[in-house]
Amino acid sequence: MDLLRTEHAFQDGLLGQSQDILRSVRGNTRESAETMFGVYRNAYWARLVEALGNDLPGLKALMGDVAFDTMARAYVARHPSRHPSIRWAGRHLVEFLATEAPYRDEPWFADMARFDWALAFAFDAADAPAAGLADLVGVPPEFWGSIRLTFHPTLDAFRIATPVDEARPQLLENPGIRMDRAACCERAIMAWRIEHDVKFRAIDPLEFSALQAMRGGATFGDLCELVAGKVDPETAPLRAAQILQGWLEWGIVATVEHDGLGSAA
Amino acid sequence: MTEHTVRSLGFGLGLRPQHYPAILDGAPEIDWFEILSENYMVEGGRPLAKLMAIRARYPMVMHGVSLSIGSTDPLDMDYLARLKALAARVEPTIISDHLCWTGVAGLNMHDLLPLPLTEEALSHVCARVDQVQSFLGREIALENASTYVTFANDAIPEWEFLAEIARRTGCRLLLDVNNVYVSAFNHDFRATDYIDAIPRDAVAYIHLAGHEHNKTYIIDTHDHPVVDGVWQLYGHAIRRFGAVATMIERDDKIPPLEELTAELARARKVAAAALKQPAQVA
Repeated sequence: MDLLRTEHAFQDGLLGQSQDILRSVRGNTRESAETMFGVYRNAYWARLVEALGNDLPGLKALMGDVAFDTMARAYVARHPSRHPSIRWAGRHLVEFLATEAPYRDEPWFADMARFDWALAFAFDAADAPAAGLADLVGVPPEFWGSIRLTFHPTLDAFRIATPVDEARPQLLENPGIRMDRAACCERAIMAWRIEHDVKFRAIDPLEFSALQAMRGGATFGDLCELVAGKVDPETAPLRAAQILQGWLEWGIVATVEHDGLGSAA
Repeated sequence: MTEHTVRSLGFGLGLRPQHYPAILDGAPEIDWFEILSENYMVEGGRPLAKLMAIRARYPMVMHGVSLSIGSTDPLDMDYLARLKALAARVEPTIISDHLCWTGVAGLNMHDLLPLPLTEEALSHVCARVDQVQSFLGREIALENASTYVTFANDAIPEWEFLAEIARRTGCRLLLDVNNVYVSAFNHDFRATDYIDAIPRDAVAYIHLAGHEHNKTYIIDTHDHPVVDGVWQLYGHAIRRFGAVATMIERDDKIPPLEELTAELARARKVAAAALKQPAQVA
């Protein structure tokens, strides 16, 4: 058998798709080819399950070791790794949990995986300085409506239907603890990093909509209109300003830009 | 940096995140560190910050697991570009990976899979080493991986296979003495025969590690202290190769740094004692 066919047969053997490779490999004077090839096959599955557990500790604590192992093997069978770094092996897991039976029936799983993934992303995403309130103070009043933001490259924001952000610290402390999975909530989470510390915060649907809009290029004027459609129009500018102030205080904004910057230059 | 400089690095450790504080807060007796390249192919954050803080104090070697030099898939040029970018940042003494393949059909098994030791595989690997060295603009080192099976069509002993790669491509060898020990047991050959067949000037540096002995075969777990048999083989290697840079590689069950520096101190003693003994003739 040539090299190409040997490697494909070997990989098929690891994936459990064929045993043809056993005709081409040898064990030793003590163990059969099947036993020795099994060292590779067992290591393949064990290594990926372990890596997923390391990268998604909240999900593992939520599911328990046995259920997590079963789920992880099913996931790896469906989505074998294609990335040189094993830390990306779980990149399809949220989608898998949200769409595959029986996991799709338990929204906690996909939510927790999404939360774990956001924290892992923030951990080693690109460095960048964060803007602060001082960047807002210098904006002339006539240009407030034109304010646009770029956000910190570590920022991730997403909706959840379960309180996984509150449950995760408890689960990591006591992995065996039973959570009340009937608890549901409609909210969003944002996760980001300041210096080397990963942060997260629950935000309400209005603020999440505002964040999505401004990440998409909306101006502060657009934000005020968006907020005005959700709250008392008279208090909308104040609410919008509070949202903006919070983002700057938390360090999720990278730059503050407005039309006055071009004219000043 | 020249081969001489690589070989003269001294005694090092694999850099692991658990040891960042002990390394940065103290001044451990470690001459250099080897980093796992893939762990630092990230955009930013703590890993890169700690890496560069430690790099400012210690020489470094980059060691990868995903080059997949033996795969029949095309070389992953995106991976190589990121490897090159990391090397530009770290300025490692040398870049190493393994004589293995990690997947085909675009998949990555995240394991160091064995190659059939045939003339076809040898030519294939040599052509790819040439390609990689040309792209990186520097020589690389290839490590002997522990193996658990051999192939029915094997035609070349692994030690000759490795030596021939070094001869044809000019690449260096990273000799993992534990892996020689493991494969020798698993495939019923004499570990000293392997060592004695490796050209003296081809070895850039040496790995030492532990393993798990299952009576009928050994698994290269890299999660235990180095065993006596590997220390003896290391002494044999030093008698043959001379004072070659050496490191302890612990990949799992990472102990406190002091435990590894103590193991490194033993490596220094074994090497010093070996260098006083007559060189092997082979």
